[in-house]
Amino acid sequence: MTQHSTQHATFVIERDYDAAPARVFRAFADLDAKRQWFTGPAEWGPDEHAMDFRIGGRETNSGGPKDGPVHRFEALYWDIVENQRIVYTYEMYLDDARISVSLSTIELKPKGKGTAFRITEQAVHLDGHDSPEQREEGTRGILEQLADALKRGA
Amino acid sequence: MTDTRERSAAHTTFTLERDYPVAPARVFAAFADSQARHRWFVHEEGWKLTEYDFDFRVGGRETGRFSQKGIAVYTQEALYYDIQPANRIVFAYSMKRDADLISTSLVTIVLQPAGATGTKLVFTEQGAFLDGLDQASEREAGWNDLLDRLGREVGGG
Repeated sequence: MTQHSTQHATFVIERDYDAAPARVFRAFADLDAKRQWFTGPAEWGPDEHAMDFRIGGRETNSGGPKDGPVHRFEALYWDIVENQRIVYTYEMYLDDARISVSLSTIELKPKGKGTAFRITEQAVHLDGHDSPEQREEGTRGILEQLADALKRGA
Repeated sequence: MTDTRERSAAHTTFTLERDYPVAPARVFAAFADSQARHRWFVHEEGWKLTEYDFDFRVGGRETGRFSQKGIAVYTQEALYYDIQPANRIVFAYSMKRDADLISTSLVTIVLQPAGATGTKLVFTEQGAFLDGLDQASEREAGWNDLLDRLGREVGGG
């Protein structure tokens, strides 16, 4: 029997990108661009990624190590302001267990020729499957992958 | 079309607690049952309800459209993420005033037995309040009223 528990946490990550807001936005809005950085570790192999980037649209991305578990991201877009803001909620699953639900706000502002980027994640972590610290660290890693993809021209 | 509005997002978390003199299953039913929900959550004095849909299951939606004295139309749209009977409800919801999105929030409601027959309810809202169009303090006051109404609903008044 599952022991139900909840843990609420918020983290904010701010960083600068050398690319202009329109390019950073495109890395979130265009599936081919997003596929270049929104991925698990290389050893997981290709993941299954689909996205309907509009208000009310959904995104799913699943993948994982060969021997499991399957990591699945399921998102819903609530607000999109071109080149400025994206608000979405997402669930994370490990196999069939919903381990968290999060509300994410991405804010982009011009800074010189680049972008001042901020993500705020407000989350409820469910039933002790993971921790806020792991999620923040994982998100920092993904945002570094975005930086690399932008350098490559994504 | 170029959007020239100044954009902002204020992030806030607030927690409200209540002790109700009935069992968690009874409190849960007031969230899950459409008729009970209409009494304490949907209908409010001075507000006209123009649309309402309620599908209480994981992945289900709730949509309500309310107008106040013909001044503004508010639209609330929710998506249920997690439902554990008599124990936990997690949902996300947004509020619009006319065409403007004013907030998106994530809500967790936890019900636990308290004493021999009662329930402790813990309500947590994690919200993004957008473009200065709404205030977390007003939202918190609104939910405080709603949880009092829920108390009258389950307490039988």
